[in-house]
Amino acid sequence: MTARTPTASRARRLLALLPYLTQGATIPLTKLAENVSSTVPEVIRDLTTLTMCGVPPFTPDEMIDLAIDEEYVTVYAAPPALDRPLRLSPREARALVAALEATGHGSDDPLVAKLLDAASSGFDLDDFVATLRAGEKGVGIAGIYATLAEAIDSHKKVRIAYFTASRGSHSTRVIQPHSLVNERGVWYVNALCENAEGPRTFRLDRIRDAVLTTESFDAPPEASTEILPATAGLPVATLRLAPGAPHTEERDWPGATFTIKPNGAVFADVPYVSASWVARRVAAGLGMIDAISTDEVRAAVRQVAEAELRELPRSPAQA
Amino acid sequence: MIDSSERLVNLALYLASVRHAVTAEDCRAAGLGYPDDQDDAAFIRMFERDKEALRAAGIAIVVDEDERYRVDPEATFSTQVTLTADEAATLRTSAAALSGDESFPFAADLSIALAKLGQGSGASSIAVSALSDEDPHIQGSSAGIIAEAIAARKLVSFDYTNARGESRHHEVAPYGLFFREGRWYMVALDTGIGRIRVYALARAAELQTNPSSPKTPDFERPRGFSVDDYSLLPFQYGPEETEAVVRFSPEDAWRAQRLTGGRGTLEEQDDGSALWRVAMGEPRALAAWCIENGPGITPLEPDTVVMTARLGLKEVLARHDR
Repeated sequence: MTARTPTASRARRLLALLPYLTQGATIPLTKLAENVSSTVPEVIRDLTTLTMCGVPPFTPDEMIDLAIDEEYVTVYAAPPALDRPLRLSPREARALVAALEATGHGSDDPLVAKLLDAASSGFDLDDFVATLRAGEKGVGIAGIYATLAEAIDSHKKVRIAYFTASRGSHSTRVIQPHSLVNERGVWYVNALCENAEGPRTFRLDRIRDAVLTTESFDAPPEASTEILPATAGLPVATLRLAPGAPHTEERDWPGATFTIKPNGAVFADVPYVSASWVARRVAAGLGMIDAISTDEVRAAVRQVAEAELRELPRSPAQA
Repeated sequence: MIDSSERLVNLALYLASVRHAVTAEDCRAAGLGYPDDQDDAAFIRMFERDKEALRAAGIAIVVDEDERYRVDPEATFSTQVTLTADEAATLRTSAAALSGDESFPFAADLSIALAKLGQGSGASSIAVSALSDEDPHIQGSSAGIIAEAIAARKLVSFDYTNARGESRHHEVAPYGLFFREGRWYMVALDTGIGRIRVYALARAAELQTNPSSPKTPDFERPRGFSVDDYSLLPFQYGPEETEAVVRFSPEDAWRAQRLTGGRGTLEEQDDGSALWRVAMGEPRALAAWCIENGPGITPLEPDTVVMTARLGLKEVLARHDR
């Protein structure tokens, strides 16, 4: 048996529940389930098992005594030991550091140090750093993520300085953040943008600064966790991708439909909100991606290519 | 016979509540749930497995020279962690997102960790994650297997289909694991060719950790190995190994840190721009990277990158002439 077996995993969950069962407490099952990242039926099963547990001689006063109904658990006799939170095992510490790394917190982040100092045992952080990377290093979004997470929690508006890649423009906006979404390692925030007077999705790595305001907002009953706009009704650009071109996979063009011709040429029909976004990618293909249509996208491609050409040093000496 | 998880909890409570260290035989006789009809050898095996499971749960069981066991409270219980509002929110939302993401290989351990910290997620409606959008379950479980093999230093075998569609069986010593743009990658020494290679786990099948002697390492990782040396930007893979210089305009200099991912060196200039010196393997890929992440990002050196960008952009203009 190892920590990976169902029995050992369940035992870990049961042990994690023990510190919550303080003598005389009546705890909502939903709250308990939330605390241990579980479901109410699972928590009921676990609590029922715990009522069979105790220490020798296993007389009623040496057993955990709980009353469980549909909504609450009442603790008549608390666990006879292990009534404080356990330290994190190396595996649990690894999971925590990896999760924080995925939210932009490097292994040298003060939050990581604080948690490991207080709560872990036997975890080799140097070994972790040498062998595992769950997120981009030095992306610098940890502070942005923390501000937005707190704002979502406290329903406070946030002022952001944002780089809009599709237009290449910088702006300051006030947003009401609703949800955080990670897709393929990139974090986005879904929000109501007060400047745009509508829902918008912002990439966290394009937010230069995020400042929590004191102004509150009413959270929507259900926050959207979709980051792609509905493609129905959007204009569709048709692209031809040469073999060896960048971005030749369907996953690179959200919502696109790919067709492979007998000669190996790949055509992609790409629904788009911003012609500039498609144009920049086409230009980055350096001649290996052609925008067949639309005229709007073709014009945007010319615009991007001309602007980029102007920026290049004219000769090595000018560099 | 009682449920195995009940026996484990009873053993944990017993070891944590006894005043003096106890022997394995004491535990057997204490009515914790070990079968009465079990022979000595079977009991010892079960007791060893139970201790291992409790240690994996974070309970520090120490043994003295007389083979007596007790729980070390200092190593077992965490101290109070006081978190600021943004730290608590960060923990809760990241846990909510990643513990529900089947492509995150440590989801189950993360849930337990957060429960121990009293920061259970309960925020699934406001934070979601899909690290991998292709075969997320397979990638997540493969990454989990590799992470364990790296920790235990066990060899792994698998079938691998490369980008050209060619399949081959490999045996490797896994050294590192990293995530990049929706995919988990393993850095490993391929024992067949004696070289370190990077494998996309989405392309690996039939992953199997060497089952023999699970507690005995099969290999030693080279001293100084760092997974970061293999987690490169797209233009860093390639035949040319040279230093490139890229300029971030004053308006875009703040984006440099976000985009460069800690690679190379960034120098702030007097005009507010930033110069990025970074290793490059493929000029065309660097030229493409600058355009794709622009505007405001311009390759300056080497000449091959500037020329490639210029010729490529002229070709783009020719192909998109009115």
